[in-house]
Amino acid sequence: MNAAALAVGFTTALHRAGLPSTPERAAWLARSLQLIPPASQDRLYWTCRAVLVTSKEQLPLFDTVFASVFGAIDGVDDAADRRGEPNAPPPVGAGQGRSVTRPDPPRPRVSDASPPQAPAPVPGQSGGVGSGGQERESVLLMASSEERLHGTSFAELGPEELTRMRTLVRRIVLATPEREGRRTRRSQRSTAQLDIRRTVRAAQRTGSAGTRLVFARRRKQLRRLVLLCDVSGSMEPYTSVFLSLLQGAVAGASAEAFIFSTRLTRLTRQLAVRDPDQALARAAAATPDWAGGTRLAESLRRFIDGYGRRGLARGAVIVILSDGWAQDEPEQVAAQMVRLKRLAYRIIWVNPRKAAAGYQPLAGGMAAALPYCDAFISGHSYSALAELVAAIRGSRPARAEELAHRPHQSLGRS
Amino acid sequence: MTGPARDGAEDEVRALVPDVPSLMAALDKADYLADPGLATALFLALRLPQPILLEGEAGVGKTESAKALARVLKTPLYRLQCYEGIDAGEALYEWNHQRQLLGIRLAEVRDLDLDESDLFAEQYLLRRPLLKAIEHPGPRPAVLLLDEIDRADAEFEAFTFELLAEAAVTVPELGTITAAHPPIVVLTSNRTRDLHDALTRRCIYHWIDYPAPERIAEIVRRRVPGSTAPLALEAASAITRLRALDLAKPPGIAEAIDWATALAVLGIEHLDADVVDRTWGSIVKNRDDLELIQARGAAWLIGGRSG
Repeated sequence: MNAAALAVGFTTALHRAGLPSTPERAAWLARSLQLIPPASQDRLYWTCRAVLVTSKEQLPLFDTVFASVFGAIDGVDDAADRRGEPNAPPPVGAGQGRSVTRPDPPRPRVSDASPPQAPAPVPGQSGGVGSGGQERESVLLMASSEERLHGTSFAELGPEELTRMRTLVRRIVLATPEREGRRTRRSQRSTAQLDIRRTVRAAQRTGSAGTRLVFARRRKQLRRLVLLCDVSGSMEPYTSVFLSLLQGAVAGASAEAFIFSTRLTRLTRQLAVRDPDQALARAAAATPDWAGGTRLAESLRRFIDGYGRRGLARGAVIVILSDGWAQDEPEQVAAQMVRLKRLAYRIIWVNPRKAAAGYQPLAGGMAAALPYCDAFISGHSYSALAELVAAIRGSRPARAEELAHRPHQSLGRS
Repeated sequence: MTGPARDGAEDEVRALVPDVPSLMAALDKADYLADPGLATALFLALRLPQPILLEGEAGVGKTESAKALARVLKTPLYRLQCYEGIDAGEALYEWNHQRQLLGIRLAEVRDLDLDESDLFAEQYLLRRPLLKAIEHPGPRPAVLLLDEIDRADAEFEAFTFELLAEAAVTVPELGTITAAHPPIVVLTSNRTRDLHDALTRRCIYHWIDYPAPERIAEIVRRRVPGSTAPLALEAASAITRLRALDLAKPPGIAEAIDWATALAVLGIEHLDADVVDRTWGSIVKNRDDLELIQARGAAWLIGGRSG
C-alpha cells in the first residue's frame, strides 16, 4: 500500500472524528510507515499511535477511529480499561459498521437525557433593584470603593442583566497570596545569600575596582489558584456566572478550573480562549453531565488522585463552588476533604445557598466539608464575590460595612 | 518554525537497530522489557528527527526506558531533572565564578599576566546536561533525557526546544558550539500541568500503560536476583489486585520490586497471609490505604478470595 496515501487518509479520518492533526504529522506518519512496514495490524496501530496521538485523552477516540478504519485491534482494546482514565472522552458511538469516510463526530456519553449545553439563563424575574444597567455597571466596577453594596442574587437576574453580570464577573481580578519562589533577584540589602554569579558580573563591568557584593533575595511567587465548580442541577441558577468567574480566573490569574457534577472535568484549556461565548460553548461540549446529579466526594477524589497529588493542589488556594448537596455519604465527603486539606494551602467554600435567611449548613456533604474549610462564603451576588476576592488574597474585606453586611465567616481550624 | 536539526538516524544507529523487533531484543538484553507499543515509539524516536514524549503513571518505567535506550546505543545518557524555576544556568552551562575568582587571586599572588580570555576558557566552564549532550563527540548520538518537563516553567520549555531545534549553543565568550551528533531526546511528563501545544506538536508521543501481572513478574525476576518465578508472579498478581482497589497511592512496579526484594531477604518462597501481614510496609505507603486493605484482609490479597 502507498504509505503517503494511507497516512493522509487515516489522518483525515481522525480529523473528521475530532482528533486534530497537522499535515506535518501526516508526513511523519508516511515516513514512519516506510521505517516500520505495517506487516501486521498490531504494528500499524502502534506506529500510527506514536505519531498521531499527542495526549492520553485522545487514546479512546484514536482507538475507535483506528478500529473503524482498519478493524478491531486484538490485545489492545483492553488497554483502555487498564488506563482507567476518569475523564477519557467516551468512545465515538461504537462505529463498527460505519463507513470510513464519514465517522460521526465524537458524541459525549449523555448520562440522563440532559444534552450537553450551556445552562440556560433563568428567565423572567428581573432583580429587585430596578435601577438601570448603566448605573449598576458603574457601581459594580468600583467594587473596592463602592458606596452601596450590590446584593442582588445571581439567581434573580434577568437574561440581559445576567449577560452584563457575566462580563463584570469575568473582570474580577483574583490574586493569591505569595510564597517564596526558587528563583532569586538581586538585592541591595544584605541577605543571607550572597550571589557570587552576579557579584562577579558586576565586578567585570566595573573593572574589579571596589567590588560590591550583590545579594540574592528570593522572588515572591503567587500561589496557584484552583477552582472547582459544581454544575449539577441544583446549582443551575449560578453556574453561568460562576463559569464566567472561572474563565476570568483562568485568563487573569492563570488558575486551574475544574467542573463537576457526576464526574470531574478539567476546563482550563477550554476556558483559556478569549471569546467568552466560545469558551463556554467549549466548556459545555467537554461536559457531558451538565446539570445532572452531584457526586461531591467522588469528584473530589478524582481531583486529588488525578491532579491534586501530582502537584496541582500542593500549596495552592482551592476554591470550591458548590451547594454541598451530594449523593455521596457525608463521611466520604469528609474523608476527601481531609486529604485535600493536607495538600492545599487554603480551602475556600463558596455556597450561594448560604445567603438565604436562616441558612444552616445541614446538607450532609456541606456539614461534613465545613470543618476543613478556611473560609465559607456565599458568593451569590457581585458584592458577595468581593468577599471571595478577599478570601483568596488571604485578607479580610477592608470595609467594616462589608463585614457587617455579610460576615466573612472564618473557620480557621485550630 | 525551525526544522529539526537531526535528520533521521545516522548509519551507525541504523546498523545497530535495523527494525522494531531488533530494538525490542536489544532493550531486553539491556534489562528493559518493552512492549511492542513502547518499542515502536522508541524506534521512531531513534529514526525520526522528532523527540519523544513519554507519559504514564509514576513508576511505569519512563525514565528507565531512556536509560535502557542509552545502554542499547552504548552512548552516555545526559539527564536533566526539571523543576520549578530551573534556568539556563542549570540546564546549559555556567561559568565557574568561584574558580575564576580563585584564578585571579592566584595570578595576583604569582604575579602572572592574566588575560580575560584566560578567565573565560574551557576549564572554567561548567557544562550542564544540555551542553554535554550537544557536545557529545559520537560516534553515536547521546541520549538526552528531560525528566518531568511539566515541572519546569513554560518559558524554559520553549527555550529548550529552540535550542534542540538548532542543536547549537552560543557561548558568547567561546563562540558557537554545533552538535556533530544531535542527541536523541526523550521527555517525560507526570502531567502536573498541560504541556504547551508547541511542545506536543513537535514530539511523537507514547502513553505507557501499567503492565500486566506476567510482565511485572518478569521485570521483578530480572531485578531481584533471588526471586523465583512462582513467587514473582504471586507478588505481581497481588499488586495488580491491589491496584483494582481505590487507593490513594496505588503500588507500582517499584513497589513490586521492593516487595520481592524484601521477600527474598526474608527467605520466603511462598506468599501466605502471615507473610503479607509482616511485609505490608513494602507495598502500601499510606495509612488510609493500609486501613482499607487490612479491612479486605491478607487472604484476599494473595488468593483473590474475599476474606
